[in-house]
Amino acid sequence: MTGARQTDPAGAVAESRLNRLNYKIRTAWREPTAIIGILLTIVFAYLIVVPIAALLYDSVEVQFGDERRAGAPEGGLTTYYFSRALFSPVAQDLFWQPLSHTLSISVGAIIISLSVGGVLAWLLGRTDLFARRWFATALIVPYMLPSWTFALAWRTLFKNREVGGQMGWFEAMGFPPPDWLAYGQVPITIILALHYTPFVILLFGNALRRFDSQLEDSARVLGAPPRTVARKIILPLMLPALMSATVLIFAKCLGEFGVSYVLGLPVDYDVLATSLFRSISSRQPGVAAVIAIAIMAIGIISLLIDARLVRESRKFVTVGGKGSMDRKNALGIFRLPATVFAGLIFLISVGLPLLVLTMSTVMRVPGNFALSNFTLDYWIGQDLEFVAFPTGILLTPDLWTAVWNTLTIVGFASVCSGMMGILVGYVVVRSQVKAVSVFLRQVTFFPYLVPGIAFAAAYLSLFAVPRGPIPALYGTSLILILALMADQMPYASRAGISAMMQLGKDPEEAAQVAGAGWFRRMISIVIPIQKGALVAGILLPFISGIRGLSLFVILAVPGTDVLTTFSLRLLDYNYTQAANSVVLIISAIAYFGTLAVQKMTKTNLADGLEG
Amino acid sequence: MPTIALKAISKSYSKDGAKAVSDLDLEVVDGDFMCLLGPSGCGKTTTLRMIAGLENLTEGEITVGDRVVDAAHKGVFVPPEKREMGLVFQSYALWPHLTIEGNTDFGLRLRKVPKAEREERVTRVMKTLGIEQYRDRYPSQLSGGQQQRVALARMLAVNPEVLLLDEPLSNLDARLRLEMRTELKRIHSEFGTTIVFVTHDQWEAMTLATRIAVMNNGNLQQVGTPEDIYDRPANRFVAEFVGSPPINIVELGGGAGGALAEAANAFLDQQGTPRETVGSVGLRPESIRLARDKADLPADALSGSVRLTAILPTGGNWILELGIDGQKLHASTHVAPHWHAEEELFFHVASDAVHRFDPNGHRLPQSDASTTKVRKAG
Ligand SMILES: Nc1ncnc2c1ncn2[C@@H]1O[C@H](COP(=O)(O)OP(=O)(O)OP(=O)(O)O)[C@@H](O)[C@H]1O
Ligand SMILES: [Mg+2]
Repeated sequence: MTGARQTDPAGAVAESRLNRLNYKIRTAWREPTAIIGILLTIVFAYLIVVPIAALLYDSVEVQFGDERRAGAPEGGLTTYYFSRALFSPVAQDLFWQPLSHTLSISVGAIIISLSVGGVLAWLLGRTDLFARRWFATALIVPYMLPSWTFALAWRTLFKNREVGGQMGWFEAMGFPPPDWLAYGQVPITIILALHYTPFVILLFGNALRRFDSQLEDSARVLGAPPRTVARKIILPLMLPALMSATVLIFAKCLGEFGVSYVLGLPVDYDVLATSLFRSISSRQPGVAAVIAIAIMAIGIISLLIDARLVRESRKFVTVGGKGSMDRKNALGIFRLPATVFAGLIFLISVGLPLLVLTMSTVMRVPGNFALSNFTLDYWIGQDLEFVAFPTGILLTPDLWTAVWNTLTIVGFASVCSGMMGILVGYVVVRSQVKAVSVFLRQVTFFPYLVPGIAFAAAYLSLFAVPRGPIPALYGTSLILILALMADQMPYASRAGISAMMQLGKDPEEAAQVAGAGWFRRMISIVIPIQKGALVAGILLPFISGIRGLSLFVILAVPGTDVLTTFSLRLLDYNYTQAANSVVLIISAIAYFGTLAVQKMTKTNLADGLEG
Repeated sequence: MPTIALKAISKSYSKDGAKAVSDLDLEVVDGDFMCLLGPSGCGKTTTLRMIAGLENLTEGEITVGDRVVDAAHKGVFVPPEKREMGLVFQSYALWPHLTIEGNTDFGLRLRKVPKAEREERVTRVMKTLGIEQYRDRYPSQLSGGQQQRVALARMLAVNPEVLLLDEPLSNLDARLRLEMRTELKRIHSEFGTTIVFVTHDQWEAMTLATRIAVMNNGNLQQVGTPEDIYDRPANRFVAEFVGSPPINIVELGGGAGGALAEAANAFLDQQGTPRETVGSVGLRPESIRLARDKADLPADALSGSVRLTAILPTGGNWILELGIDGQKLHASTHVAPHWHAEEELFFHVASDAVHRFDPNGHRLPQSDASTTKVRKAG
């Protein structure tokens, strides 16, 4: 190199500089990794960044038909939607009341699930409860099922004349329940609390496992009575998990749609998610955008707080260590009552709702337990007296269309996001271009911060009209697939990144030295080794996609009904039995699917659900 | 077989970070068994990976034969898969989803070798390495030593002209290690492969290599045959790194004093070497001889009186700990010592076994017999 410089200093230096640049480009962009990184960057910019940007823009752009009210031409900028949603006379109904409902439901659900879940986590983790192992699995089941399964069960039991269709069981038996018990805040809070209790059990269980029971012991040896130990030792150490559970449940309640829709609508009890839904159904995209932004902002803030807390709590983790032992406290005379308590929770949160739903689909008249009242007609009957449903649900073509749609839409999205997850993992771990890997890591995580319903609203605002070369996608399956993929990316990419990290560079480099080019290495080495991760990365999102509702409810039209939206539509028409049957089908798929994945990938459910 | 030439190669992992390898010049010629030797973190793996093409150069050029494979300033880069080298990773990096056979014939399949020939070559390599009975097993079902042989077989199957090995023996027990060393030596002579072998085990380097490159802190210290490295270390680092027990260094110059330094200075004077040119001298333990009588001391040796403080048998060898004026010397011998501890003795080191280093630690030319004679005559 010095030789070149000596012959013709100026020219050689320039040439050398050019060559050096060439070398840099060549080594950094040598492999398809870089190209794929760029492609993924573009794809995710479009699937994740652009919809959010469109949503933000929608909230300040004058929409068609609003020119006069906004005092600006269509397409101009306006603060009209913000002031309408936040400060106008209707703001109370549009935003503030739904916000306060959302907050009070969340707070209620958090308090109940923390106390019930906290006690259960301790009973399961640290005591000699009867049938502890069985409970450890059984009490997690509610989390595997769609939350509004329980809302439908509740409605089947407590429904009153506020809503048409079949009577509720209690009303049929002569005890019409009051509105406060049948609809609105009380049932929604209870159901969400029960749904998120398993979440608390998992989070607390992990935290309990992490710290050493010797800490309790040493306090006790020093003479502290049990109550002091709980207050002074256990509680402070559990605080991070507690805060974390609080924030995560809050964020989830924020986007919760199904339960509030089923139990809130009859008494006009709106939460933010249903208010957003109403704004969209009543064609007010500007206001909808404002509400979606609000949901998104609250979601992001709370999850950032959580991230902060988790980081803080890491300091505590080191406290645990190797000496931790799995010692069980003897419950003594409380052993039986404690077991009854756990059993009761199981009954309320799993047994009873499923039983009620199942029964409701095989009974002609609600609340009548005479043998003659039972029938399989709603499932497999023919020539029924309903207008819309002359046959049982299993013989209805609409069901099978919905099943087909669910499998294809959710399946396709899951396969795509699972593969993209591995690719993202690959690029993030391998890319020589740092900016690409940082961007991909962050952008694929972003949807995690955005409640599904707000995300759906963003998709709607982007794809409702043709933009540039992209036609309007609303009403097609494609929009569902794209939205679902984006929604699943946080899990898929996280799984992909950790799988690629674990794999390390060596096996691939060994193949490279042996003479294998990039595609060959992908096909013969990387993908076969990552098969397990890939299967899990496809199946887990698939199962959660099947029971998902909030994305679909905004984006699906009757032609693209999936099982969840189909059951909601049935409910709207007051076909209680049919709706309940469909929800049971979804629950069965979700439950057995989760078990199967667990078996297949030998993963623990607790790991998969914690995210 | 081609010569691999590293020309002034440098590597820094971050833009303005320290260099992991700096300005390294090294030539590996046909049939070499070259060992890269150096302490942990000195840049051995980095160098090997640059040769394989797994790491880009910051500066410099690598040529194989007359083909430039890597040169930042020329904008040339041949990717690893086109360099036709074999690399055995320290971690083995076997492919967990392929059987031993699948691992071994991967490279041959890539090269579209016909089935019959593939079978034959794989079987031969497996037989050579004694892993034929495991051909249908998966890597996780083998012991560490067996895995290591698979890693080797995988590379040998394609018969590369250059074989790069990154501390491949470090995970093996002593017996297996010995076996594998013999194996490697045999492969080297049988296949005529050029081998670059990374190790931080000097013993391994000494027994295996035809040439050794000693590195420290990313800098090449010395290249030479094992004898060169041991008998004529280029500087104090090499002298101190190689040899066990380590070489005894006697600091001279500056404020260094004591009986040992005095003995060394007297020796230099007698040799006619100006004192200020020598910063220190090095005495290998095995070149230190002992005597009871002052009369037994050779005339032109470096000598002095010592007290034998301890005798440490190390199985066939004895390390003798000597005290001289508060300083310590280590001597070693493979004949059972007939001294006893706490005895007052005399030590002497033959003049051609005294390593002399200038104040910067660089080797000064040995005062060999002929110059001594000339001087004496004059
Ligand atoms: N990927 C990397 N990024 C940043 N620094 C690195 C990287 N790999 C190695 N280094 C640094 O470069 C230096 C040389 O590392 P190298 O792995 O070549 O050492 P080594 O001689 O092989 O050591 P050992 O005997 O421990 O394997 C070390 O200081 C190391 O920390
Ligand atoms: Mg190394």
